[in-house]
Amino acid sequence: MKKTNAGKKYAIFFCQQIDKNQDVNRRSIEKEFGPQIRFFPIPCSGRIEPLHLMRAIESGADKVYVVTCPEGACRYREGNIRARKRLLYTQNLIEEIGLERGMLELIRLKAGNNYTVDKLTRELLG
Amino acid sequence: MAHKYHILTSPTPARFKPITKAGIIAWEEGCLKCARCVKKDCVYKVYEKRSLDSRQMLDSLDTACMDCFRCVQNCPNRLIQKSINPLYKALGDNYWTPEIIENIWNQAENGRVPVSGGGYHGPFSGPGFDAMWTDMSEIVRPTRDGIHGREYISTTVDLGRKLMSLEFDSGGKLISSPPPLVEIPLPVIFDVLPWSPGGKGINLAFLEAARNTRTFAVIHQADFMTDMDEYVPNIILFADDDVLKLSKEMIRRLKIIELPDSGNVMAIQEHLKKINPALVIFIRFRLSRNASVRAAALAKEGAEVIHLTANENGMGKAEDPLFIKDRIRQIHSHLIEAGLRDEVTLIGSGGVAMAEHVAKLVICGADAVAVDIPLLVAMECRVCRRCTEGISCPVDLENIDYAWGASRIRNLISGWHNQLLEVMGAMGIREIRRMRGEMGRAMFFEELEKEIFSGMGIKGLINGK
Repeated sequence: MKKTNAGKKYAIFFCQQIDKNQDVNRRSIEKEFGPQIRFFPIPCSGRIEPLHLMRAIESGADKVYVVTCPEGACRYREGNIRARKRLLYTQNLIEEIGLERGMLELIRLKAGNNYTVDKLTRELLG
Repeated sequence: MAHKYHILTSPTPARFKPITKAGIIAWEEGCLKCARCVKKDCVYKVYEKRSLDSRQMLDSLDTACMDCFRCVQNCPNRLIQKSINPLYKALGDNYWTPEIIENIWNQAENGRVPVSGGGYHGPFSGPGFDAMWTDMSEIVRPTRDGIHGREYISTTVDLGRKLMSLEFDSGGKLISSPPPLVEIPLPVIFDVLPWSPGGKGINLAFLEAARNTRTFAVIHQADFMTDMDEYVPNIILFADDDVLKLSKEMIRRLKIIELPDSGNVMAIQEHLKKINPALVIFIRFRLSRNASVRAAALAKEGAEVIHLTANENGMGKAEDPLFIKDRIRQIHSHLIEAGLRDEVTLIGSGGVAMAEHVAKLVICGADAVAVDIPLLVAMECRVCRRCTEGISCPVDLENIDYAWGASRIRNLISGWHNQLLEVMGAMGIREIRRMRGEMGRAMFFEELEKEIFSGMGIKGLINGK
């Protein structure tokens, strides 16, 4: 992790369809970063709701990522599209109350790649 | 009539929302704004009482839903979907399955026995304990007084060495001195955990629950602290460090000490008995190919209780391919052949995950069973084994309140006790000491399969030619 990121708290919501073995793969990150990073695996990124994101910020996260499947690859057909809409909506909400839009970020994975949660997280924090 | 053994239960809610089997995925967009929304029709008022647990980001929709699928079926625009929760599927491992973990959670929460209402869909056999079926021939009708009512089914077992005969002098006075026995009202003791997060709350919860259920908890010598002093009557001290470090006063106060098996274990037993003749000594060793020979040798030399352990999946040492139930059967039979079985008490542990496993191990020849991981699962453990990698526990087991933990364990043990009564009632056995080694009252899948199919394809077997 870069020095500028030191001490920052992260919340990462991710669709579990991305990495079937996420529970094992994320352990190395959990061990390294401890309470600084929190993973919230969700069955589909379309499950995310503005309230989730607001609560994550409320509980002290400096940055919230929502990781979705590539477009067209959603197991539930349109979950990732809905996730994007809800994230935009929440970004507007937090901007209204004076927070930075950038606190919430959508990561849409590229098609054709096999991702694991640990590699992905390192890329995000890298 | 003797006082009936009964464990009091009290509902003890989980601190964290449990991981549920199915989750709801509801698209809010595309709603037709029906005059009467299906969400209003939920019989459990799941949508009306909706809340979010911000610590785990778990929606009450998932945890409160009873999977009736009413909303899923009735929404005209099919906006509500249910799916199997991937987190649920990831719970535990092949042995400690999500179903087992969920069952233990439920029992620990309310002390009720798990009931599946949808019939049994099979499979009818599987590996390990699932390859064994108990006799249910007495289940033809409910007993008049009910197995939980006036009819008394005893689950009491004695731990210790037993005399095979009594000797009297010419004046009719008893000259043989009976060895000490410890009686427990349930054939279950609490074992040390193969892994667990730190914090002394876990051990204290075990001890408090052991005291409440009138059984014992095994505690490592190194883990014994002064604040466990009041629990000494319910402690089995596992002297795996150095038994000579124990003070004489401590040895006199303890009822049971467990020793790791070694070449001079009988000498240590003698040494401890000199200090406290009322002490019962357990000798603990890992199941292996030569376990029956070793058990017979120990029994011959005067061992009182032999504690046979397997790993968390019920397997012995690496080279041992036999599951705990099969290995214990072998040891039990070997001791019978040697004429030693009734003198010694056998305790089996490792891989005991459900109430039926207790009954099955007893049928295979164990007098009592030691339980480990289910007690931790009762306190919400998810069997993720993060603690073995030094990662913090997702359910914060380090900082539990021991009274809360003890209440959950008590609920679980009460549920197991009731299930044990059910199994024994169905077998028509009213005394668990009579059930030990009753292998004729059970069927073993591998043996049946062998009996039926082994002759197939062998020339000359048909028509006796």
